[in-house]
Amino acid sequence: MTLTGAELERYSRQLVMAEWSGTAQRRLGEARVMVLGVGALGTPVATYLVGAGVGHVVLVDSDVVELSNLHRQTVHSTGDLGTAKVESAAARLRALNPEVHVEPLRLRVDVRTAPGLVAGASLVVDCSDSFDTRYAVNDACCAAGVPLVEAGVLGLGGLVLSIRPGRSACYRCAFPTPPPAGAVPSCREAGVLGPMAGIVGSHQALEALKLVAEVGEPLLDRLLQIEGRDATQTIVSVRRRPDCPACARVAAAAQ
Amino acid sequence: MSAELDLTGVLCPMTWVRTRLALEDLDPGERLEVRLDPGEPLESVPRSAREDGHEVAERGEIVSILKR
Repeated sequence: MTLTGAELERYSRQLVMAEWSGTAQRRLGEARVMVLGVGALGTPVATYLVGAGVGHVVLVDSDVVELSNLHRQTVHSTGDLGTAKVESAAARLRALNPEVHVEPLRLRVDVRTAPGLVAGASLVVDCSDSFDTRYAVNDACCAAGVPLVEAGVLGLGGLVLSIRPGRSACYRCAFPTPPPAGAVPSCREAGVLGPMAGIVGSHQALEALKLVAEVGEPLLDRLLQIEGRDATQTIVSVRRRPDCPACARVAAAAQ
Repeated sequence: MSAELDLTGVLCPMTWVRTRLALEDLDPGERLEVRLDPGEPLESVPRSAREDGHEVAERGEIVSILKR
């Protein structure tokens, strides 16, 4: 894959970085990344992945754009109300970078659809908003050996964890059991400030670029906790569990 | 083996972008000769190349970079 003159110009501000390289850029261009959810987290994730030149970005979501989404889901517009989120996001992202193949897929991510969605992906970015979906995506990625970036945001807090199945702690290693029903309010009940979704989703996008381009040190075995109330960030060490039902038997993915 | 790159008429930071990509295609010990415009390009490309650890010689508007 050779970069055209326009691509050199488009990606010049990352290509000049000492940490980046033509090889890193080519890795992005050859990657197929699944973005599961184009809401609060999916907005910065999809925008920055498409902007950075990931070759093929698949957007998966079953929802339509609602008025209450727009304060944080800025990839959509007021004129998109009632439109499938994957379609309104795809239109915006294709306009941002026509070099990228953006594929909208209107589908609900659950334990039934997750295995088929993650198969063949270079990387999965979980931008969903439920614990059930996170466990389903985590388990599917572990079974398929596909690297994954998990994140969650609620109110003024959030967390991010990168996962290389078989090599680093998976989401189930970090959180073996879901919180009891009703213990954690949903985004709908607890609310969230737009910039918090932007901060957490931007971290998630950065992790995705690092993992695909093989640049820097991803959040493997390190859970990033972000507290917006006092602008603090904490790294918490997490470890693989030898009895983890999702990843204990996964052989280290070949590099 | 050596390679040549004519970057006259090219502005920063594209000068360094193109130089870095050309260097990536070379093996250590190979040489890249870059022709640059006076001013910012001739001032910044040699500096960036040295910062990346390469050996740099300047002859007029030609910057000769030995890849490390």
